[in-house]
Amino acid sequence: MNPGVLTAGARGLGLAEHARKVVQSGQPESPAPARTMRARKQRGLVERWLDWRFSGWTSPLLVLALWVAATELALAPEQILVPPWQVVTSGWELVQSGELGEHLSISLVRLLSGFGFGSVLGVVFGLAVGLSPRLDAYTAPTFQVLRQIPSVALIPLFILVFGIGETFKVVIVAKASFFIVALAVHDAIKSLPVRYLEVAAMLRFSRLQAIRKVVLPAIVPATLTGVRIALGRSWMVLVGAELLAAESGLGQMMEMARQMFRLDVVMVGVVLTGLVGLALDRGFRLLEAYLMRWQRR
Amino acid sequence: MMPVSPFSRQRRLALSAALLPVLSTSLRAVAAEALPPALRIAAVSRTGPSGKTLFAGSSALVAEQGWLAAELGKLGVKLEWVPVTTNSVAVQVNEAFANKSIDFAQYGDLPSIIANASGLSTQLVVPGGSMNNTYLVVPANSSARSIKDLKGKKIALHRGRPWEFPFSRLLAANGMTQKDVRILNLNPQAGASAVASGSADAFFTLSDAFLLEDKKVGKIIWSSKQAPQNWKMRAELWGDSAFLKKHPQLAQLVATAYVKAHQSAIGDNGRENYIRHEVAAGQSRSLVEREWEGDNTDWNERWAPLFTPELRAHYAAGAAYAQQARLIGRPLDTSKLYAPQFVEQALARLKLQNLWASR
Repeated sequence: MNPGVLTAGARGLGLAEHARKVVQSGQPESPAPARTMRARKQRGLVERWLDWRFSGWTSPLLVLALWVAATELALAPEQILVPPWQVVTSGWELVQSGELGEHLSISLVRLLSGFGFGSVLGVVFGLAVGLSPRLDAYTAPTFQVLRQIPSVALIPLFILVFGIGETFKVVIVAKASFFIVALAVHDAIKSLPVRYLEVAAMLRFSRLQAIRKVVLPAIVPATLTGVRIALGRSWMVLVGAELLAAESGLGQMMEMARQMFRLDVVMVGVVLTGLVGLALDRGFRLLEAYLMRWQRR
Repeated sequence: MMPVSPFSRQRRLALSAALLPVLSTSLRAVAAEALPPALRIAAVSRTGPSGKTLFAGSSALVAEQGWLAAELGKLGVKLEWVPVTTNSVAVQVNEAFANKSIDFAQYGDLPSIIANASGLSTQLVVPGGSMNNTYLVVPANSSARSIKDLKGKKIALHRGRPWEFPFSRLLAANGMTQKDVRILNLNPQAGASAVASGSADAFFTLSDAFLLEDKKVGKIIWSSKQAPQNWKMRAELWGDSAFLKKHPQLAQLVATAYVKAHQSAIGDNGRENYIRHEVAAGQSRSLVEREWEGDNTDWNERWAPLFTPELRAHYAAGAAYAQQARLIGRPLDTSKLYAPQFVEQALARLKLQNLWASR
């Protein structure tokens, strides 16, 4: 038999083995019943606290309190451990001078272009290897090895190849997102329930039809999750790359501030990096929920 | 059995009463002087061929002489050398001064200005002893012959390091400002690979420029060797002001030790001995020799531990530059940066008042 050919059954999609496992273990494919019905009778203090809509602020406020306490007790010299309000003031000064906006927008442009390239390529590649076991067999070793190399470790090499201009930053971000997205798509296809394809076979779908009407819609959730993780990772890699080599950008703002011994500005960068990462993640979750709204009907 | 004298008890009381004030004053003296367990000096280090950490510059001479360690040892204070790497001396030393993990550091002019402008308080204890020249390197195949040809081009420069000030002088002398070139803020290693790969059009740095020439990936088109004295970067011995105030006697020992090192450097075989140290610390002999070749500074002058008007003018100009280049946020009064009393004392004690007195 030729494994490269998509047969009417699941074999061509490399799903037979998975199906067997599922049958053997006897696990249901659908997720466990919703947990919303959990007993809510005992409403202790902790639970009421957790139910409060602002309880999510607990840990950020605790961190802030620790920070304030540490500065008040002068656990470290003021030049190193900057109090939060000074970070806010410095941040505001940077906003007013327009410096912060400039750094932030350039970082975001780099992020979105690199991430755009990387994730589109990742989806395409993931689909190709997910659908064609032969291609998968050819590329898997290389893919698996390259995937293990931390993007940050490639920075010096990328500088030598691409120079220190914009190309290098876009490429490194694209690299970071490509592997995560490709892997997510690949795995999503590999773990498609067999019965989906059985239905497709029963309806006598052509290969293209099966891909378009069954595979693609089915892998959307896993793909979106992969893309979201990739977005977060890309942001971290970008800031790291900017710390090492850039003329501008948030990471460079932090590095420069460290050289100028302005740890307040470094802290502005740290806080902002976290907030931007959070905003990107939250934003993408909203987008995900919007795209997946059909599932909730 | 000895009969107990009726006076003995009284006498003993009287004795202890007489001793008490003596004892308490000596206790108080100990409390005031409470010497630190260790005295810590940060110095640029390289990993030598044997894997040992070796220090560069006059600190290596001080370490070799062993006088400072012995003198401090007599007081029960241990001498600790804190190594910092060439890639980020400025940041490492300033952060170490801030969290009080060092008492002295031998490092550059601009980082000291930055530290003092951001609220740290350090003072120059022993001037001189810096051998560094600065260089402008371009890729080997570049057609640029002077800084003027680099208008609008990308120049790698690690900001806030002591060679930034000579760079600004070079620009100014050619009627340019930092706005006329694109500065890439890269540490010396990244700067070297940027110019080697041609992604930077030039690189402003220290003697590591020769390594690029040796590898035939770069060529030096300018050096500070023939430049006016006040263009040269300075790196010298700085101390934490609080430490200088609290332990003047220890600071005095440190200053004396460095002055002794300077004295030995200008003595017989001083130059050869210095080269030997640099070579031991992993520099190649040809690099050290090329660094000095054609330099217009007199060898003895380099080691002069004197607080001259030129020195003060250098720091004043450096601080003015730092503010104008927005490296520091507020003006810095550089007149507070000097602690010349230790060197004066050392020169007097060593009877060297006339050694560098030509100026």
